[in-house]
Amino acid sequence: MSLVILENIKKDYITGEISTPALKGISLSIEPGKFISFIGPSGSGKTTLLNLLGGLDRPTSGKVTVAGTEISALDRRASAKFRGENIGFIFQNFNLIPVLSVYENVEFPLLMVQELPPAERRLRVTEMLEKVGMSDQAHKYPGQISGGQKQRVAVARALAARPKLVLADEPTANLDHATAYKVIGLMHAMKKELDTTFIFATHDQKVVGEAEQIYTIEDGLLSAGVK
Amino acid sequence: MNNIIKIAWRNLLRYTRRTLLTSSLIALGVALVIVFGGVGNSFRGGVIEIITNSNLGHLQVHKKGYIGSMDNLPLDLSIGEKGLEGLRKVLDSSPEVLSYSERIRFGAMISNFASTTNMRLTAVHPEKESATCPDLPGRIKEGESDPAAFVKPGAIVLPQNIASGLGFKLGDEVVLVANNKDGSVNGLSFRLSGISENIMGPQGKDGYIHLEDARTLLRIEGEEVTEVAVKLKDFDRLTGATSSIKKELADLAGAGQKPGAEAASGAQPGRGAKAGLEVHTWEELSPFASIAKMVALLIIVVRLVLVFIVLVSVLNVMMMSVYERVGEIGTMASIGTPPNKILALFLTEGLSLGFFSGVIGSAAGAGILLLLKALEIPFTFGSMDLVLSPSVPVGEIALALLVVIVISALASLQPALKASRMEPVDALRHV
Ligand SMILES: Nc1ncnc2c1ncn2[C@@H]1O[C@H](COP(=O)(O)OP(=O)(O)OP(=O)(O)O)[C@@H](O)[C@H]1O
Ligand SMILES: [Mg+2]
Repeated sequence: MSLVILENIKKDYITGEISTPALKGISLSIEPGKFISFIGPSGSGKTTLLNLLGGLDRPTSGKVTVAGTEISALDRRASAKFRGENIGFIFQNFNLIPVLSVYENVEFPLLMVQELPPAERRLRVTEMLEKVGMSDQAHKYPGQISGGQKQRVAVARALAARPKLVLADEPTANLDHATAYKVIGLMHAMKKELDTTFIFATHDQKVVGEAEQIYTIEDGLLSAGVK
Repeated sequence: MNNIIKIAWRNLLRYTRRTLLTSSLIALGVALVIVFGGVGNSFRGGVIEIITNSNLGHLQVHKKGYIGSMDNLPLDLSIGEKGLEGLRKVLDSSPEVLSYSERIRFGAMISNFASTTNMRLTAVHPEKESATCPDLPGRIKEGESDPAAFVKPGAIVLPQNIASGLGFKLGDEVVLVANNKDGSVNGLSFRLSGISENIMGPQGKDGYIHLEDARTLLRIEGEEVTEVAVKLKDFDRLTGATSSIKKELADLAGAGQKPGAEAASGAQPGRGAKAGLEVHTWEELSPFASIAKMVALLIIVVRLVLVFIVLVSVLNVMMMSVYERVGEIGTMASIGTPPNKILALFLTEGLSLGFFSGVIGSAAGAGILLLLKALEIPFTFGSMDLVLSPSVPVGEIALALLVVIVISALASLQPALKASRMEPVDALRHV
């Protein structure tokens, strides 16, 4: 069964009188356990698509189904619950919570969203920090670590909740090349180890090499599935 | 919940300067309320104690209509023998009454043979008067001030202003001339046994003579008085005690009236046959009551200012907090944090700010009050010497804290709701 099914997704942004069509009819399905990249020029609609996949926004028309749930039909609360249980997010700006330590950032979704018991949380956080190689920095705060390290923490946070799907919008855009490759490498390794589906958006041609499947978006439409 | 508090505190500490500034503003407000409340209540309590203990008593009983024409000190509106008998029964049996003093108050001319002036006099039994107004003997600055016998038959106590006005010294002979209630004039001479300091209030400049002398001077036969001052065991029970005494006096009047009803058609209102008494508390008798009310009102105004300070400063800080952290809110929301937890986070932040500041302010306020108490600052109000000894008002502190907490919660509610209702996409774009 497909993990993600998009059926004729359209998205118009309406600002005042003007309506901007950002997605003009996208259909595709994604199997579980894949490492997928969307590429395309700036303004092509990658972020828009990822937001719809993650249930952060709703399509103007069409259906988004993730893990058997039609998320485009969920209300705010149900959608938040669904995201907390099924989807991990990695952001371009890392988006760690500045008042929480590295450890607490990774623990946050387990505590505030999934409400796991303390022992279980400790186990998972320690495990994830070890996997991303940040165990020795666990007590530091986001302001005290580098960009690459922040993104590794963000990967750990996204995966600690054991989501079925991880969405990453331009995860390497704020990193230098060497670090970018490392982070993508880490994501790939995690995908293999945890059998999680990764979807990331980028316009950085050099980074997409790691992807198993590449979709190209141009002007709100899928132009071709490369690879 | 612990984690929400932890995150809220860290966020408060993140903007240290702003938090400290807001916090000190709120703390200052709370301290102000507590100090003002403490000092105001201490002043109020002090003055009330002086006037009730010096001459008013806690409450007074008169013949109906007396207070209305009190300025003339009418002798014809007196409590007659039967009325007094009933009144004594009520007061003696009331568990609330500590003591009471029967008085005849009247106006008289006082003369040193060379010149003459008008004055007011209160005639009392000294031991009963002292039990009811225990501060009175202490206010007799010169001469006899023994509580049990500060005014013996044949003696008179004059207030300072009259004594010095007429050039009287202790032991001098003083002549009083008074009209009795039928209009005839009588005179009697007294020996000046004491000079009392003047105090504020309607009876603050009265002279004192013995009750028996007044009866002689005014040619009153039998037991008849114009006023009964009452001291309660517990001043705080004033309202309850007054209404129960009123009720019992009314029952007494009712009982007295019924059997007399047939005879009453004969239309001769027997003297004191109907109790017809009125009861007034010190508040209704003293002009200070309105000052006391003003002080109470001012305390309320200061509290309102506190409410305003807390409301504006917490609202301001929380609105800024939400605005500055839109990106963070977006992150939390997108990874699935439920809206109610985001709400709780910001509410807790505002509440912690208010509570923390409130506790600091309370401690500071209580500290200042304790200091004032230790310093025993004396001051004079009217002609009364007071020492400020504010006690730390536990109720006031609890109230101030409660107000701060409730208002902080209210002030944080709007920003917190705004945070919890943000759409994750919009919030994330804000980064
Ligand atoms: N909130 C919005 N309101 C109006 N128009 C928007 C909004 N967000 C995106 N758009 C428009 O939708 C189109 C797609 O935007 P989107 O952000 O999805 O592109 P993108 O592929 O992610 O670009 P980039 O690579 O620069 O991040 C663009 O034309 C953009 O201007
Ligand atoms: Mg984008």
